[in-house]
Amino acid sequence: MSATTAEAEAPRRPGLLARLLRDPAAAGALIFTLLLLAAAALAPWLAPTDPLDNNLALSMQPPGSPGLPLGADAQGRDMVTRMLFGLRASLLMGFSATLAGGVVGVLLGFLAAFYQRWLDGPIMRLMDMMLSFPAILVGLAIAAIFGPGLSSVVLALAIATVPLMARIARGSALVTMRLDYIEAARAIGMTDARLIWRHLAPNCLSAIFVFTTLRFGQVILLGSALSFLGLGAQPPTAELGAMASEGRNFLFFAPHIAVIPCIGIFAIVLAFNLLGDALRDALDPRLRF
Amino acid sequence: MARHALRRILLVIPVLLGVLLIGFLLMQVVPTDAATVRAGPTATPEVVEAIRRDLGLDRPLYVQFGLYLWRLAQGDLGVSIINNVPVSQELGATIGPTLELMVASLVWAIPLGILMGTAAAYWRGGAIDKAILAVSVAGGSVPVFFLGLLLIWFVGFQWQLLPFTGRGGPLWTMEGLQAIVLPALTLGGVFIGPVARMTRTAVLDVLSADHVRTARAKGLTERRVVTMHALRNALIPVVTLVGLQIGFLLGGAVVTETVFSWPGVGRLAVGAILSSDLPMAQGTIIVLSSGFILINLAVDMLYAALDPRMRAA
Repeated sequence: MSATTAEAEAPRRPGLLARLLRDPAAAGALIFTLLLLAAAALAPWLAPTDPLDNNLALSMQPPGSPGLPLGADAQGRDMVTRMLFGLRASLLMGFSATLAGGVVGVLLGFLAAFYQRWLDGPIMRLMDMMLSFPAILVGLAIAAIFGPGLSSVVLALAIATVPLMARIARGSALVTMRLDYIEAARAIGMTDARLIWRHLAPNCLSAIFVFTTLRFGQVILLGSALSFLGLGAQPPTAELGAMASEGRNFLFFAPHIAVIPCIGIFAIVLAFNLLGDALRDALDPRLRF
Repeated sequence: MARHALRRILLVIPVLLGVLLIGFLLMQVVPTDAATVRAGPTATPEVVEAIRRDLGLDRPLYVQFGLYLWRLAQGDLGVSIINNVPVSQELGATIGPTLELMVASLVWAIPLGILMGTAAAYWRGGAIDKAILAVSVAGGSVPVFFLGLLLIWFVGFQWQLLPFTGRGGPLWTMEGLQAIVLPALTLGGVFIGPVARMTRTAVLDVLSADHVRTARAKGLTERRVVTMHALRNALIPVVTLVGLQIGFLLGGAVVTETVFSWPGVGRLAVGAILSSDLPMAQGTIIVLSSGFILINLAVDMLYAALDPRMRAA
């Protein structure tokens, strides 16, 4: 790494968290996101009941009923428990789809940038073609082939994420490739794999990380929509989109059954969008648009 | 201009063929045998074999793809395995309502979004800018179905103001007009945020251009500079970006149609998939995808028409 970049970079590192926390919206989003992750991870221990435990005597109890702070759904299942497990399922779905799509997309983007002469054209044309399909349509097609289910949704959202990630990774790799230190590493005879992995990838991480955070919110939104349509998690599984869909049937008798999961989805997506925006401003001002 | 249009149209052909190929392969990877399904559970093996020959299922895959394209060209998309209605007939009945819903959502959401974005750029950094930004960030995080359910619960159920299931009839009748209000508010509602954000960015971009500096130097009021000189040029990127969001709108339409039982292609597609009606699912997916590709093509043409610089390219 050249001396000038090292100087420019050195004071930046320790300040990231501090700078994030200075913006109240970002700080709130960060804390809220951490709370959500903790709640999802600890759901089996935090939840007062089993997510499938029903008690028809408690059916559609409104929020604030004794022992049921968020009420009960149509089957008389505790909404606090359902929300904790629903959050867990939705976040897990989002993570698997973003991770799978992200890894494949970043790899393709790096390959396109690194072997620009042979691979850039074919890979990016393929990505353009994939981009011409909206995520919900990909979801419909995958559900038609493999049948509705959480794994279909994860697969569809991963596929829809690949071309976006490839574009970001390629763009950021192309900029990095022009830097002197890459040329220097190449000159000392480093293998391509090592060059990509050890020298190219770390420099593109912040752009990829910012985009992943923003994409995660979108993936949750799309995944919950597919589940709401009945193409994702199937009842009685607790998943926020599926819960909203079930609650829709009882909207006029007990609106809380649909509204509470909807608020949950909204809160998750909002938190990740705010966090992504703040990370973008803090990590990589060039990305601001 | 004509050359640009021609090149774009030629570029769309392989993508459309790709869509049709995916639609075709959809039927191949599914582990159900079309001949057995069509023959029914009581058919003898000979009958199944005859149907298989009849449908060309015993020929090589590329021949089958050719046959499939040939049938498609004649408007034959197969028959629903649920109610034996031709897929093309169902699609013909649902495309209109879907387009109706999308147009009804855009006619109010795009002007309002542009207005909000311009206002935010005009009062940049101020309270109005921050409020509009907050609204558009929040709007971009709301699930479409949440907005729909809220409108149904308040406007439709509590206040009894408007109907919320199905299409009331043609738009020029009172019933038809009333029935489209809530679905159009829902679908347009999630679209305002992105449009406002894009317009704000585009207007701010243009505000630093030379011709805007000239307009300011002439002593024009800021309001005139923003509305007459900046917004006009900013509309070009906005048109493109709005066009790129059509996929998002189409996805939203699928959800909105389901929430409001709107008889469109999206709802038809979801129903077909949930009941494993493959020919119908295939037909709806082909129509939705090609419709999306064609809309993108139209947006691209519009872009070229708006921006003279694009014509030379």
